[in-house]
Amino acid sequence: MTGERTFQKFKRLIPKKAFLLWLDSLKKDYKLIGPVKTGNHAVFKEVDSSEELFMEYGTTMLSPGKLFLYKPNEELFRFAMNGKITIDEIAPIAEKQVIVGVHPCDVNAILYLDRIFLRTFKDTHYEARRKNTVIISLNCARVSENCFCSSVGAGPFLHAASGYDMLLTDFENEYLVEIKSREAEELFGLEGRVAGRDEMRVKAEKEKSMQGKFTKTINVSGLDNIFAENMEHPVWQQTAEEKCLSCANCVMVCPTCFCYDLRDEMSMDLKTVTRYRCFDACQDIRFAEVHGGNFRQRRAARLRQFVTHKLDQTNQYGVSATVGCGRCITWCPTGIDLTEITKEIQRYEPA
Amino acid sequence: MNPLRPLTARIEDIKTEAEGVKTYTLSTKFPFRAEPGQFNMVGYPGVGEAPISLSAIMQDGSFKHTIKSVGRVTDFLKDFKKGDELFFRGPYGRGWPVKKAEKKDILIIAGGVGLAPLRPVIQTVLAQRESFGDVSLIYGARDEKNMLFMNEFNEWAEKTAVYLTVDEAVQPDRWKHHIGLVTDLIDRVKIKPERAIAFVCGPEIMMRFICRGLIIHGMSQSSLYVSLERRMKCGIAQCGHCQHSGLFVCKDGPVFSYKEVRGLPDGVL
Repeated sequence: MTGERTFQKFKRLIPKKAFLLWLDSLKKDYKLIGPVKTGNHAVFKEVDSSEELFMEYGTTMLSPGKLFLYKPNEELFRFAMNGKITIDEIAPIAEKQVIVGVHPCDVNAILYLDRIFLRTFKDTHYEARRKNTVIISLNCARVSENCFCSSVGAGPFLHAASGYDMLLTDFENEYLVEIKSREAEELFGLEGRVAGRDEMRVKAEKEKSMQGKFTKTINVSGLDNIFAENMEHPVWQQTAEEKCLSCANCVMVCPTCFCYDLRDEMSMDLKTVTRYRCFDACQDIRFAEVHGGNFRQRRAARLRQFVTHKLDQTNQYGVSATVGCGRCITWCPTGIDLTEITKEIQRYEPA
Repeated sequence: MNPLRPLTARIEDIKTEAEGVKTYTLSTKFPFRAEPGQFNMVGYPGVGEAPISLSAIMQDGSFKHTIKSVGRVTDFLKDFKKGDELFFRGPYGRGWPVKKAEKKDILIIAGGVGLAPLRPVIQTVLAQRESFGDVSLIYGARDEKNMLFMNEFNEWAEKTAVYLTVDEAVQPDRWKHHIGLVTDLIDRVKIKPERAIAFVCGPEIMMRFICRGLIIHGMSQSSLYVSLERRMKCGIAQCGHCQHSGLFVCKDGPVFSYKEVRGLPDGVL
């Protein structure tokens, strides 16, 4: 490719030990965040040392993007309510941080959140944190039960050209390290072994072998039209009646669900109002309520909103909102599976 | 600056329009500019914000909101006095395609408080009357007590055709206009479909039947415009509350051509 920037040529094999030591060296300027084993699953959290990292994790309940970039709860303004009201704009808390081990689905989810928070209206908090965050992605080496990223082009290997900093691929005792940003190029001091054509072929083989391991799949071609024609398909009502609890677990664990509520909280002495933003969910019955009506009064309508917003509505941002992480399936207490709902609808379509 | 940061506006005047409906004339430190059909997020710390359309955009940089008290924010606002400050941010959204309506016959059709977001259109038409063809206003409300801007109708009627209706008259002997649904009045207007454009605002079910009625009169879906109401928290296409299929009503609307929104799920158009 002509015009390729020098850092994009950096493809090297680095012994894992050396790589982890380099991560530790970043601790003096950055918070280090990564997957940590707790019980029989993993969570993204800040670590004191790379020794705590569990890079072989399968999936996590919460995505790093919605924990460390777009926060579940964020204070935005403080209003002093004595006499003439004054507004104190709360500055973003945006410490420099490195998030390591982010799987391709979750990187793609962050790129999706960028579309919401960094376009016409920039979210000051998200923007500040995004700037101060180094994202080191890790191509997947195992497929979890509900993963279907390979069906939607969001994994198991990352193909996005930019918007993150480094990409790792597990090469047994080494990582294949690819640099994806100027900042990473400046930070990364290790030389390692240059990855040539052979190593890149091994990487491609690894990806191919991973592709074959998926048990959950979805056919997204033509889904926009198929959904549009089946808005009253019995699967919506039936799933809503028999399974859905409107608990909103699906929305909370979804790495691309971006909806929020703005809430005001008055202090006990009535002198200060804090306006904060917190995650909200289309599964809540009040979500689309207006005076005199509710556009999604029916549970079936709310369930349909979630599923179609994930799989359809590509006209919103030109991409599908699902990254195939499968979290909404894993954490649904009644086992609702959007790939199954889709298949149910597709069965009625001529092949 | 955080785009969700509200500004203060001083209430210069308050006028009672109808039962539970008041018009607030507001001024800010900087002249306020907006397009007819756009809206502000209006509110107060501790109470929250609600999307409210502009019912007038004045030459001097002040603006008006006509607000019916029906919810937490609007109920709170009803006790405000002249000289008080309230908070707002905006203007947001895509308004009425007034430019596109130039040289055309305009049908302005409203129900209840749906007349408020159309008043800036009427004012534009009155100010540049010669730029437009025949202009007809069709307006209906539950009864006379729920009608907005009644003392302005005479002035409007000098330059436009005004058709009024109520579902039920409180004083039938004094009510000189039609009694019945807004849709009844469509038949009274001579519509030349090829040169007509319609701006419609009211309850969604009303807009459904108005639009379908106008289509029967030969108008095309793309010459009908409706303004939608949805719950909104941000007004800037982030909070997700107003999503209507793939559309953000706050950013892509609130004014849409009927073609864009007809038959979408979770709506009645």
